[in-house]
Amino acid sequence: MSISIWLILRANFYALFCWYKNNKWLLLSLIIWPYLMSFVILAMGILYGDLESFKERLNVANPVLYILASSAIAMSSVGIIDAVANFTIYHRWLGTLPYLVMTPTRTYKVLLFSSIPDSITSIALSIASITPAVMYFEGILGITKIAIVLLIVYLGMLPLLGISIIIASLTLGIRGEENVASSLTPFILLVSGVFYPVEILPRVMQYISAVIPTRYVIEATRFLATYTIPEAKILFAFFYILTILTIGYNSISAFILRSIERWARKRGSI
Amino acid sequence: MVIAIEVRDLVKRYVSYERKGFLRRKKLIIEALKGISFDVKKGEVFGLLGPNGAGKTTTVKIIATLLIPDEGYAKVLGYDVVEEAEKVRENIGVALTVEKGFFWVLTGRENLKYFGMLRGLKGQELEQRIDQVIKLVGLDELNAANKPYEEYSLGMRARLSLARALLPNPPILLLDEPTLGLDPPSAKTIRDLLVHLAHRENKTVMITTHNMFEAEIVCDRVAIINEGRIVAIGRVPELKRMTSNRIAIELIFSGPSIPLNIVEEKVSRFLTINEVNVKPLREGKARIRIVSNPGEEEIIASKTIEILYSMNLKVHHVRIQEPSLEDVFIILTKGGERK
Repeated sequence: MSISIWLILRANFYALFCWYKNNKWLLLSLIIWPYLMSFVILAMGILYGDLESFKERLNVANPVLYILASSAIAMSSVGIIDAVANFTIYHRWLGTLPYLVMTPTRTYKVLLFSSIPDSITSIALSIASITPAVMYFEGILGITKIAIVLLIVYLGMLPLLGISIIIASLTLGIRGEENVASSLTPFILLVSGVFYPVEILPRVMQYISAVIPTRYVIEATRFLATYTIPEAKILFAFFYILTILTIGYNSISAFILRSIERWARKRGSI
Repeated sequence: MVIAIEVRDLVKRYVSYERKGFLRRKKLIIEALKGISFDVKKGEVFGLLGPNGAGKTTTVKIIATLLIPDEGYAKVLGYDVVEEAEKVRENIGVALTVEKGFFWVLTGRENLKYFGMLRGLKGQELEQRIDQVIKLVGLDELNAANKPYEEYSLGMRARLSLARALLPNPPILLLDEPTLGLDPPSAKTIRDLLVHLAHRENKTVMITTHNMFEAEIVCDRVAIINEGRIVAIGRVPELKRMTSNRIAIELIFSGPSIPLNIVEEKVSRFLTINEVNVKPLREGKARIRIVSNPGEEEIIASKTIEILYSMNLKVHHVRIQEPSLEDVFIILTKGGERK
């Protein structure tokens, strides 16, 4: 009996649930993290200018909300990259990787779908953590916006999954414990416009940012933070770009993971 | 006779690199397996016995579908481990290392539930099976099932590892050094359980070990592997008969902490005998075992006492015995090592 994708997802949701249940402090720290990050960014920003100039420069109506949302998205992105790209390193360190590989199904299926529950949960937790603030500033309208942001973030997650799987494949093949994702994450966040708007980045980085999915997620959040629901066509443009990136990255990643899995079994790096 | 595991002419080479300078590195090819062949019959405990680096774990990993061999093939219940890996995985339970391999924050029961789901078990069936294996490995007596894994002793971890292997009730168990580092009571529990599983529940058990005592009391048949080659295979009494014309001399000694490998080296060189083995014992004592030809035992014993005294070591007693499986192992893995 080959193990279904549903069983792989269920098992990993269960492990994650137990992990948070037995680790309540970690859960709490995940919830307050966007607030801490926003506080630091705003406190540092106020050292250089007031909130009004910040509003003008970023063209957002509510900087507090914008930074909170960006922090939550940044955290979700880090969460996805960490969950997927570091998956093989984490399980190799735990000693569980061989047992996952020995699941009676295709190895790439296990490696691919085992990390998805962690990604979904990390996004849901980040968005849930900023919901009280959004409610406070914008009421029911804010909740509608946050629902749209959540949808965009989940869509943005799909191509990001592809990038992360490519990183995970490299980690599986190279055998060492090099944390490839940790080196790439700050760069991905920078070119996504998490720290600074993409427009003020050097030209080369702007070109790179065009193929980084989190950029579009951040842009969408920026539109939503301007108090008006963006025109549908802008959202459709984002969906279109994210779909192309999803197909592109995931096709490449599926091919790489399948090839590297066999190579890793030949090389003895599992 | 039904064959559960069939291994034919397995060859496995690893590639590693040796640094030869800042940028230069030399490619090294290590031949871990040099064409090994053996069969494991259904319902028997089969031991793969060998020193460290002999190729035991490589063999288990190939059969467990974690490694692809360079040449030869291995089949589990007729399924090829490379071409039909999924079918092989459905029929095996594997325990690779006893000290890790679980989520640290999760309890033993939660860990088993996770791995059980990944083996296709669900609902009531999964819960019942978890209860059964927890009881079978004795984790219930230790009240350990609901403790986080990070609080487990090595003995508990070994039991949990075995419980995971048993969870899907597979016909074949592959266990890599299942009692390594365990205290004697825990090791005995595991050994008793392996015999029970094979002889009462008709499971096929393949273990790797370098513990001669374990192989002698647990295994129905043993293959001795050294430097990637099977050097002997058969039932323990058959292997022992290989040394029927030899005699074993055993000396227990203690003294200043001289590295045991140096003692072994010195005795071996002085006596010009390869079949010498030194092992640490409790309370600062150690045991030296020498295999020789009958008639030479007295002279070898006196010469060895002389060497040990010259190293300020105190000899407690000397015993002349029939060779054991350990001696067979020493002869087969060390004989011809040094000329």
